[in-house]
Amino acid sequence: MTTLRRNLVLGAAGLGLCTAISPAQAEIDPARATAFIESAGRDLVAQLNSTAGTATQRRERVAAVLRRAIDIEGTGRFILGRYWRQASEAEQRQYLQLFDEIIIRNLSARFGEYQGVRFTVGRTQQRSEEDVLVTTQVDRPNSASFALDWRVAEVGGQPKVVDVIAEGTSMRLTTRSEYSSVIQRNGGQVSALLTAMQQQIAQLAAREGR
Amino acid sequence: MRFTHALAVTALLTLGACATRPDPSDPEAVAEYEQNNDPLEPANRVSYAVHDAIDQAVLEPAARGYRYVVPEPVRLSIRNVLANLRTPVVLLNDLLQGDGERARITLGRFMVNSTLGIAGILDVSEDWGVPGHFEDFGQTLAVWGVGEGPFLFVPILGPSNPRDLFGTAVDFAADPLTYFGQGVVVDALNYTRTGLTVVDVREALIATVTPVREGSMDPYATFRSGYRQRRNAAIRNQEPQRGQGQNTGSGVGRGFGLTVPLR
Repeated sequence: MTTLRRNLVLGAAGLGLCTAISPAQAEIDPARATAFIESAGRDLVAQLNSTAGTATQRRERVAAVLRRAIDIEGTGRFILGRYWRQASEAEQRQYLQLFDEIIIRNLSARFGEYQGVRFTVGRTQQRSEEDVLVTTQVDRPNSASFALDWRVAEVGGQPKVVDVIAEGTSMRLTTRSEYSSVIQRNGGQVSALLTAMQQQIAQLAAREGR
Repeated sequence: MRFTHALAVTALLTLGACATRPDPSDPEAVAEYEQNNDPLEPANRVSYAVHDAIDQAVLEPAARGYRYVVPEPVRLSIRNVLANLRTPVVLLNDLLQGDGERARITLGRFMVNSTLGIAGILDVSEDWGVPGHFEDFGQTLAVWGVGEGPFLFVPILGPSNPRDLFGTAVDFAADPLTYFGQGVVVDALNYTRTGLTVVDVREALIATVTPVREGSMDPYATFRSGYRQRRNAAIRNQEPQRGQGQNTGSGVGRGFGLTVPLR
């Protein structure tokens, strides 16, 4: 990677961090981040592997774990990027609500695929003063294991996940690219993204019903 | 006269195929445009549509058939053999990047896997704690400081850029197996290798491509971002430690390797 590109990427990430994530972010201790991922991961795996209750009850239990672990507002604002300020207050509220539901539905629509999932925490690296990268390996029965890295930052006094990196691909950056492309291709209207997000949720819900 | 006419039409078509630059007074829009680095976006989106149609009609069904017919241990052995056959190209690129340590690993793995691993069928080295890695000439150029150039979507090959496309051509030309022997048997073996590489790569990509195709609101934009991130990670040699089933090192479809389990 050329230095220029690296600077661009870092610059973009830095810009996003400054504008998107609340100023409450402080320095984070790597050991604390690791312990947090271990406990949140254990909770998540326990809920994914438990088959008790209806599909809605299971989804609500997984949702509770995800909402505790992920900085949904900060991540959502980072992903919307420059369009956050263009959006009206009502659009911002609706966007965050839809974003929250998409995160949860994406996982709950795949409950079947996650039966028997296990994970192991690997090494932890300090990425910057504000965030730490915790690497994990996810194993599912009958499929190749894959690397999943968690970027953890201190948000409002609590460690929270601010990005997930799957095999070198940051979900935050990929989704940002997807959302901004949807807005641009629809005349720069944030409302077009909100409509597309609603459709996506309907599709995920239909898949869950199958 | 006719020539100038053709030239004018070509120029018009080319112009029409360019993405509109954003208003220069909007620095954030300009920054985003430059970061996407996709001035040929309209043409690329057409290529993507063509690629997607071919993929759904031919490549993906072939990969699913391969997965259905060939048991997993056999598919793994085939993947190991294909990776082992790629050793000369990986070694050359390790050396061109001045990475003696990784070159030594590549060579050592080749000697162990070709003998104890029975012609590369078993990845004995990985069991010994020496996992493999891939390199290609596109990565070597990047290490040398060559920029990627504008994003390109090439039907059948997938996402790329001028640097990586050129790299793929150099890797093909540098592969000694391209020139090894002649006759019907050698031709048949070469075709077999190519055919297996295509289905093997596509089979490994099922877990990546299907969720994006079904779940993304704009699969093209997702693949563009994912490709660039994966390539940058590969250039920095930040490949995943284990279970790198996403990359068979063939050069085809590389960088599609985003797994998207949580989005």
